[in-house]
Amino acid sequence: MTLSALCAKASAGERLSPEEGLDLLAHAELLDLAGAANEIRFRKNPEPRVTFHVDTNPNYTNVCTVDCIFCAFYRHPGEEGAYTHSVDAMIGKFRESAAKGVTTILLQGGVNPALPFAYYVELVERTVREVPGVTPHFFSTSEILGMARVAGLTVPEVLRRLWDAGLRTIPGGGAEILSDRVKKKISHLKGSSDDWLGVMREAHRMGYRTTATMMYGHLETDSEIITHLDRVRDLQDEYRGFTAFIPWSFKPGNTPLEKIIPHYATPVRYLKMIAIARIYLDNFPHIQASWFSEGKKTGQIALHFGADDFGGTLQEENVHAAARFVNKTSTEECIEMIHDAGFPAAQRNTVYDILRTYEVPSAAA
Amino acid sequence: MQIRDRNLMPVWEKIQSGERLTLEDGLRAYTSGDLIGLGAMAHAVQKEKSGDAVYFVLNQKIEPTNVCVLACKFCDFAARKGDPHAYEMTVGEILGKLTPEIREVHITGGMPPDWPWERYLEIVRSVHDRLPEADIKAFTAVEIDFFHKKFRMPVEEVLRQLQSAGLRTMPGGGAEVFSERVRRLLFNQKIGAKTWLDIHRTAHRLGIPTNSTLLYGHIETLEERLIHMIRLREVQDETGGFLTFIPLAFQPGETGIKPAHRFTSAADDLRTIALSRLMLDNIPHIKAYWVMLTEEVASVALNFGADDMDGTVGGEKIAHDAGAVSPMTLAKERIIGLIRDAGKIPVERDAYYNPLHVHQERVVGKIPYLNSVPFYARLEKRDFRILPVVPRRMGMLCALGEIDAGPFSLMDFLRQEDDMELMGWCIATRDQVKSVMLFSKEGWRDLDGRTIGITDDTATSVHLLSVLLEKKYGVHARFERLHQGVNSYDGLDAVLLIGDEALRRNKHGLDGFELVYDLAREWYEWQKLPFVFAVWALRRSLPSAVKEELSGLVKGSLESVGGDFVSVAGPHGRRIGLTDEETQEYLSGFNYSLGEREREAIEVFRRLVPAAASGAHASPPDREGR
Repeated sequence: MTLSALCAKASAGERLSPEEGLDLLAHAELLDLAGAANEIRFRKNPEPRVTFHVDTNPNYTNVCTVDCIFCAFYRHPGEEGAYTHSVDAMIGKFRESAAKGVTTILLQGGVNPALPFAYYVELVERTVREVPGVTPHFFSTSEILGMARVAGLTVPEVLRRLWDAGLRTIPGGGAEILSDRVKKKISHLKGSSDDWLGVMREAHRMGYRTTATMMYGHLETDSEIITHLDRVRDLQDEYRGFTAFIPWSFKPGNTPLEKIIPHYATPVRYLKMIAIARIYLDNFPHIQASWFSEGKKTGQIALHFGADDFGGTLQEENVHAAARFVNKTSTEECIEMIHDAGFPAAQRNTVYDILRTYEVPSAAA
Repeated sequence: MQIRDRNLMPVWEKIQSGERLTLEDGLRAYTSGDLIGLGAMAHAVQKEKSGDAVYFVLNQKIEPTNVCVLACKFCDFAARKGDPHAYEMTVGEILGKLTPEIREVHITGGMPPDWPWERYLEIVRSVHDRLPEADIKAFTAVEIDFFHKKFRMPVEEVLRQLQSAGLRTMPGGGAEVFSERVRRLLFNQKIGAKTWLDIHRTAHRLGIPTNSTLLYGHIETLEERLIHMIRLREVQDETGGFLTFIPLAFQPGETGIKPAHRFTSAADDLRTIALSRLMLDNIPHIKAYWVMLTEEVASVALNFGADDMDGTVGGEKIAHDAGAVSPMTLAKERIIGLIRDAGKIPVERDAYYNPLHVHQERVVGKIPYLNSVPFYARLEKRDFRILPVVPRRMGMLCALGEIDAGPFSLMDFLRQEDDMELMGWCIATRDQVKSVMLFSKEGWRDLDGRTIGITDDTATSVHLLSVLLEKKYGVHARFERLHQGVNSYDGLDAVLLIGDEALRRNKHGLDGFELVYDLAREWYEWQKLPFVFAVWALRRSLPSAVKEELSGLVKGSLESVGGDFVSVAGPHGRRIGLTDEETQEYLSGFNYSLGEREREAIEVFRRLVPAAASGAHASPPDREGR
């Protein structure tokens, strides 16, 4: 098929095969991708508004035994700088955040084998009980697999107990690239693609809502990116449990992988990821642009490439910061960035219910 | 291509038909919410002009001093004499900043109260002596005006002296916004629009091409930005001397000016790039100056109309002092990576935008003239990138192994036959061609001993002229290479022009040169053979699958055109002043397929050209040595 026919097919919202997706990603002009992605975005979400949420991204521990070579955040047990916070300390942090208007707490740690399963259950229970107004968005798949190992439980049993404690949403981190060739090289202890998909499948079956992520810009090929998209699209066909897809680029600072991959992926590469995700993931409601991980201007431009969500305000963040990549914002600036990009803004909660809207002031329109 | 905003459609229709946009069209496009639709329109124009090429230059910026008699509100670079951060570099210090790989030296700075004129000339002369290969781009119109007043010399004399010291081009700074309202409020010590434009006109007349700029994102209106572009467009119609346009995003920093926002938004930056490309239909290049736009926006802008990233700029003090977030130096490697990721060909250039090196594989050359349009009409590429380049430069890049295929000027092909193999196509004609023309004051036989200005763009036409003069008419003339982009033919008895420029002049005439000869007709009447100007060839070492793919693409393109040239080349023709009927007639006069008669014509020509000329290192006589 010619590229223009392929773009027309994509714009019309027809499902693309992996071969077609790869052809588009590798060969289409940037703005042809953007045009198709935009068309789909506005068909799916006709409101021009762009959503964001007020969130924070603290960590309960940086102790980790998984040794991913793309990570600058973790410490081994006992290593200098290693920490694990008590449940009390975390609840204290959450209360402070809630008082500042935070509605989502995205909590992740390292994978710390010294922590008992009860710690996690208590964190969830007490957050739900003691910090009203916030949604716990806790624990990546690697941590859930870690809990299962420590507690001698199956993944469904772990998910069931967390559900009973009040957890309803799970972050989608840790997917990296769903290609075992790549995973073996960058995170050989973190589990296979099937592990990530397996935890997500069980969670969706149980009624959890989760996000899906992708970290690109290291060793992956275009074809592996399409494979990643294809696998999350397949899983989404089963339970429709994913709320949004969030790509971000690998940040080499302070990581062992920095020696091989010295440069950040380019802004254009990011915009292609946003657009191809919108085009290929025909069963995802939202695509999230990240001002935080790619830069504010790139984040704004991504809103014209098929993204309809601007992520969170991230009052605290430690993982990218450890890789010398720092962007900060406030709720006001977040709204202004969305307006500047040409869209009305709307604050949402963790599962994309709209809480409040902010029309574009006429001067900025 | 997706245009979601119906309001953009009338603008898009005008662009497709080669019509010039008005202020109202510009405002309509500027205020559209459809950023992608606007960008796609600008990108279509960009591709037509620059193909997939994005240029950069290995450059160094020299600011000899920050001491300045002016105190512009937007500048926090300038210092007063005696200020703790004031500096004045010696010639030795300046030379110490130069490294051998630099191809463009950009010299601007403050305007100190006490430097003698000779000091400026000495700087230019010394840099030129140290790096004769590098082009010197120096002094904004504001500085030229300062020299003119301070040293009581006409602007023309200032420029002539700088030119003989080694200045080649001028930067475009100091234009700010051509609005008296804004000038009074922000730049009241700077020259106004009229002076700025007059100085650039004078430079163009002297053979000094220049850049142009717009400083936006402070208190100016969209209308004022567009009027600024339109005024540049008018001057360009007169002189053709602007090489590029550079929209500069205002950096608030500590400058004391309070714009509506802290920095221009990414959307405003991209819209401004796109509008520049759409409005300035006669300026060849649009620069996304990464130092001011940020690397983020500049790299995206390469798909919104910009075809130049500036360069590896050594020390960009002015933008940096005002808080530009880009790092001081973007390594060449990073620039190449950004350009490639944008789907473009990184092309290293000189100050005149001549390509020096191509950092990309699978590059196909494209002659940027109307007569080559049909080859590329439907060439939907996946693995190839297209580089528009004048024939002579295409030959040079091919000799460096940096271009893999294309329609090569016949002379270039003959010189590189060992590495290149013929495909089945050519640009040949039966009797006349109308785009290789000699405009002359004298008849053929009276040109003996006279001086003929020859185009810098190709070797084949120059050798054809030579063969006609010497072998057909038995006379010898002196050749003098014309400056690029300069329309001054003083002191010449005849001028050889090719391509679109020849077509345009053929239609409207060239003042003072009343005799007009069509070289293809001259050849035909002499040899009764077609003349082959260019032949399609590709590198022998390419994998056969690649060869087949490319052949298939060119063939498919020509077949899809059939004989209907207007549908693919009409807009190009209209842009150079041809009616659709003239375009159709002109292109119908070519034979694109390489047959027996064309091969015979090539052999006859080969025998007539002196053996030395078809050797690898031969080039036509060249007074300038460039």
